[in-house]
Amino acid sequence: MWNKTWTFKEGFLIGGGLVFAGLMLELSVGPVVWDAFAWPANGIVLAGFIVMLAAMVYLRKKVYAFQWMTTYQAAIPAMVYAVVLTIIMGLTRQQVNGTWLNNMLSFWPFVLIYVYITVILGLTIHRRLRKMFRGQGAMKRDIPFMLNHLGLFIALTTATLGNADMQRVKMICGIGEPEWRAMTQEGAVKEMAIAIELKKFIMETYDDGSPKRFASEIQILTKTGKNIETTVDVNKPYEVDGWKIYQYGYDTQMGAQSQISILELVSDPWLPFVYMGIYMMLAGAVCMFVIGGRKRV
Amino acid sequence: MSWEHFLYFAIAAVLLWAVGAWAAWKDKTGMAYATTVLGLLVFFSFILSMWISLERPPLRTMGETRLWYSFFLPLAGLIVYSRWKYKLILSFSTVLALVFICVNLFKPEIHDKTLMPALQSPWFAPHVIVYMFAYAVLGAAAVMAIYLLLPPRSSFARYQGKNLGGLDNLVYVGLAFLTIGMLFGALWAKEAWGHYWSWDPKETWAAITWLAYLVYVHYRQLPHYHNRLALWMLIGSFVLLQMCWWGINYLPSAQGSSVHTYSISE
Repeated sequence: MWNKTWTFKEGFLIGGGLVFAGLMLELSVGPVVWDAFAWPANGIVLAGFIVMLAAMVYLRKKVYAFQWMTTYQAAIPAMVYAVVLTIIMGLTRQQVNGTWLNNMLSFWPFVLIYVYITVILGLTIHRRLRKMFRGQGAMKRDIPFMLNHLGLFIALTTATLGNADMQRVKMICGIGEPEWRAMTQEGAVKEMAIAIELKKFIMETYDDGSPKRFASEIQILTKTGKNIETTVDVNKPYEVDGWKIYQYGYDTQMGAQSQISILELVSDPWLPFVYMGIYMMLAGAVCMFVIGGRKRV
Repeated sequence: MSWEHFLYFAIAAVLLWAVGAWAAWKDKTGMAYATTVLGLLVFFSFILSMWISLERPPLRTMGETRLWYSFFLPLAGLIVYSRWKYKLILSFSTVLALVFICVNLFKPEIHDKTLMPALQSPWFAPHVIVYMFAYAVLGAAAVMAIYLLLPPRSSFARYQGKNLGGLDNLVYVGLAFLTIGMLFGALWAKEAWGHYWSWDPKETWAAITWLAYLVYVHYRQLPHYHNRLALWMLIGSFVLLQMCWWGINYLPSAQGSSVHTYSISE
């Protein structure tokens, strides 16, 4: 063991080491504090992560481990650890204020394994790019590879780091009263650059009384000078000035006569990057379907 | 046109698909194409006439959605067959389409079931249909894996056991659809719930299933691999998929915390 070349054995030991290190971190510093990653911290961390990957690439001839991380013997054990930890997450009740296994997203071993996978992804993408630029690639295989791997890399990094910048607030809008104050998830009042006035709340039911449609006819006034009349339905949010406005709730005591409508406003500045990753993976999946596995007859 | 006429169209289509599946098995390729396409035309003519008589696309009720599964399954089977001449795929897609048709025939009370606002989205049909197709194909792969793990009795099993190439193609198709279904779900979730990924129990298990198949796909890239281990991976992954599909409905940790509680697949 630990002789070159490293095999699955080393792969599983490194993964196990990360889980152990994660447990030690959990014990000593407590869970991962994702809120600390709000801008600009997440931008700095992302830049630092890319610099770290570049350094690993630069040192790959000197440090065997960095070279080895681009092999299946590294990637497969890492994925197996991710499967096992995510299964544990799926079997335990997840709570916002939970600890250890009950709050897996902030549990160090879980986070470290996924970071490790992202490092492996980054190094593997670089290795493939080098091969392509040397002219040793085959476009038919390299392009789907890039769409799948780079797409996942972009989606994973930007979704995780961008999460702290996402804002979700609720606004209770009444008929005839423009509202510009909203409630954050922590329960604080936030003054928005958007005012919304409810014109009419719409609730339709099927013949058996089950709900058919919830919607709000609203008028939106923004500090940027926009004056918009629109309707927000469940599944049909309206976007203005970087905020998506969703139909969220109503006065359930009043039902169709509700004089208020609860709207949720969501802003996620990192969304375009996450979507770029998602669209790349979608294109990669289409390639996977068209090209299929390698032919071995 | 209404559901009363469904029985006749369904019988005609299923018979045609069954002949197509048999023809594919017997290597009568031309006949397999012709009858399967004809069956699809018969079935689609029913969907189309429902569309016209309802004056809206038949996508609202569960029964109507199942019409589309029953249509897309043989269609997808035909595409896979035309690409890889995978003999069993048409039999499998026919049986699965038949299951959905039978649900529509024997549980007619759900035809009028209404669709709650959260499900009224253009994403509903593609998200569910793509997932259903992925489940079907990966189910076929798992059945194949079990078959290959049994002691070889027929020459077919011995032939197939030599390499897993045919099985890989099936897994690639299944994984491609699994990925598309998951990402469609993410794009829909953004429109419906405000976030593309919330680690809802259904999403968590979708991620687990997806990762498990990724392990198989990467393992199969190795120059030296253990056939039996690879086959067991497919079976294990399909067990995880069951958890994602319906198992979480019985999972204590998922009770009351899932937003996927309107049991799409019933």
